[in-house]
Amino acid sequence: MSELFAELKQAVIDGDEDIVSESSQKVIDQGVNPVDAVQLGLIKGIEVIGEAWKAGEAFLPDVMMSAEAMKVGLGLLEPEIAKLGMSEGESKGKIVLGTVEGDIHDIGKNITGAMFTAAGYKVFDLGTDIKAEDFVVKAKEVGADIIGASALLTTTMIGQKQLVDYLKEHNLRDQFKVFVGGGPTSQVWADEIGADGWAETADEAVELAGRLLAK
Amino acid sequence: MLRKYDVLTEEQVKTIHEETMKILEEIGMEFEYEPALEVFKAEGQKVEGNRVHFTREFIEAKVKLAPSQFTLHARNPEHNLVCGGDNIIYMPGYGAPFIHDVDGNRRKTTMQDYDNIVKLAGASKNLHMTGGTVAEPQDIPDEVRHLKMLYSSIKNSDKCFMGSAEGQERAEDSIEIASILFGGKDVIKEKPVLISLINSLTPLKYDGRMLGAMMAYAKAGQAVVIASLVMAGSTGPAALAGTLALQNAEVLAGIALAQSVNPGTPVVYGSTSALSDMHSGSLSIGSPECALFISASAQLARFYGVPSRSGGGLNDSKIVDAQAGYESMMTLMAASTTGINFVLHTAGILQYFMAMSYEKFMMDDEIAGMLLHYMKGFTFDEDGMAFDVIAKVGPGGHYLTQKHTRKNHKREFRTAQLSDRTAFESWSKEKLDTNQRANRKWQEVLANYVPPALDEAIDKQLLEFIAKRS
Repeated sequence: MSELFAELKQAVIDGDEDIVSESSQKVIDQGVNPVDAVQLGLIKGIEVIGEAWKAGEAFLPDVMMSAEAMKVGLGLLEPEIAKLGMSEGESKGKIVLGTVEGDIHDIGKNITGAMFTAAGYKVFDLGTDIKAEDFVVKAKEVGADIIGASALLTTTMIGQKQLVDYLKEHNLRDQFKVFVGGGPTSQVWADEIGADGWAETADEAVELAGRLLAK
Repeated sequence: MLRKYDVLTEEQVKTIHEETMKILEEIGMEFEYEPALEVFKAEGQKVEGNRVHFTREFIEAKVKLAPSQFTLHARNPEHNLVCGGDNIIYMPGYGAPFIHDVDGNRRKTTMQDYDNIVKLAGASKNLHMTGGTVAEPQDIPDEVRHLKMLYSSIKNSDKCFMGSAEGQERAEDSIEIASILFGGKDVIKEKPVLISLINSLTPLKYDGRMLGAMMAYAKAGQAVVIASLVMAGSTGPAALAGTLALQNAEVLAGIALAQSVNPGTPVVYGSTSALSDMHSGSLSIGSPECALFISASAQLARFYGVPSRSGGGLNDSKIVDAQAGYESMMTLMAASTTGINFVLHTAGILQYFMAMSYEKFMMDDEIAGMLLHYMKGFTFDEDGMAFDVIAKVGPGGHYLTQKHTRKNHKREFRTAQLSDRTAFESWSKEKLDTNQRANRKWQEVLANYVPPALDEAIDKQLLEFIAKRS
């Protein structure tokens, strides 16, 4: 059994979706405890990569591929955990991510998603061109702690303000922390629109989330 | 004029072309704009949803329709520019949302910055046109920004300027404004006055905003730069040759569209491909990889017989420092010496297109002046060989008191505008670095600049049009 967990851990470190998928299937077929497979396999792997990233030893593709592999494993094991009526264990937090309406740039958002995954958060990535309302629907559905809205254009940044305004209008502002980011954004902008957080890089966003959610 | 050098062999150029055709035929591209899809359908290309698969015959035939060079007309004909051939056109940076001030602090760009940068470009001896979106005026509502920017470009200089690429409507506004300035749409259709920056959405896509603008300009006979910025490693493969083929596919498909809309539309082959830093994911433009893409793009454009756009004073630094200088010199030199014709972002850019800096602008203006002089190469006429004066001075002696020296040095040497060539004692009085000298210099230039007069009747018409559209 521990061999299977070691396999999962290594496959996440290697960013190998195929092996993660095979090993996760073995967990299910052999009736191994899926919570243990997540906690002692997948998460252990992502922790190793997270540490290597912090130490400057891992590069972006390493982290992003590990995050993808982890997602594949969770995709298989989570339904099993639910089926058995078990609890997956606490994640550090849940974050709903997307690029705002009218904007289709997503590299920065994808990097941010991977960094949050590597740091132990559950990430729900909505994709690009997302309306304020759709961010909020998803955030409510999953019980998110943070909504992260990305924008690359000076002309679409306004979508971040619309998100904050939408939450206010619907008396939901205190339910979620709102993070904004992307090329033309700044702390000044975040303050101006009343967002809870802004970060220039994905790493800084993860740190900020750690600080804000700890409060 | 120095000969432009190649970074690819003929064989390698052909290989890139073949790979490009394979991408366009087998993978195809997406166009998020119904009118563009209609054009491709009418041309017999395979269209499924937004995806278009091209035939090589179509692409090759359309690219051949593009002119190898064209003249861009300015309101002062002395500033008319030939784009293509051995010519080089320098202009300010484009689209930055921030200004980095002399102390390294960052702030939002404003209309005042836009005006100032147009004026600095107008005053420059080294910048041939004033460019476009030289600073995003974020204090102006988005809906009218393009109108205010165009007016500022017209009012504050008589050099060529760029149109808005923000969708069909704003392109049409740009065309209207240019028609007022130059005396009608028929006039500008014959003599293009606007050039605009159309970007693909890498990998292998174009969005509706850019395509709407491109088609509007093509119909009006105005020039378009069709550009791809592949970030190797993130929006393109971590492979320089593969990235070049990917970029080439995007640009050629765009050129083919422009030529289908209006055969003979002046187009410029554009590239600012670079790489994603593998630690941060950020674009990195002050890099040797970017310099290679610049040089190869010049060569590919030559292969297709169209003018090229790339390069500039590109760098990833946040302030005018050594990094800003050495990176910018590398990329602008690569662009200039390998034959890029239209050099967007020549002056002012910091931090991979995120910021403009007045001080950087002045430093780049100096670099541009140095390169223009460098590219003149050697003069081999009688004065250039100077045999007589060599004979006259003979062994020993010196040339400082010779008439030949007094007369010739102004032609043969360039006087530095910003670089400090003084001795230690003079320098040490204030110990100013480049950043600080540039800070003084731009304020001086701006204070002394008088914008060329604009015909009052035209000015009135322009303001009326803008008021009507605001």
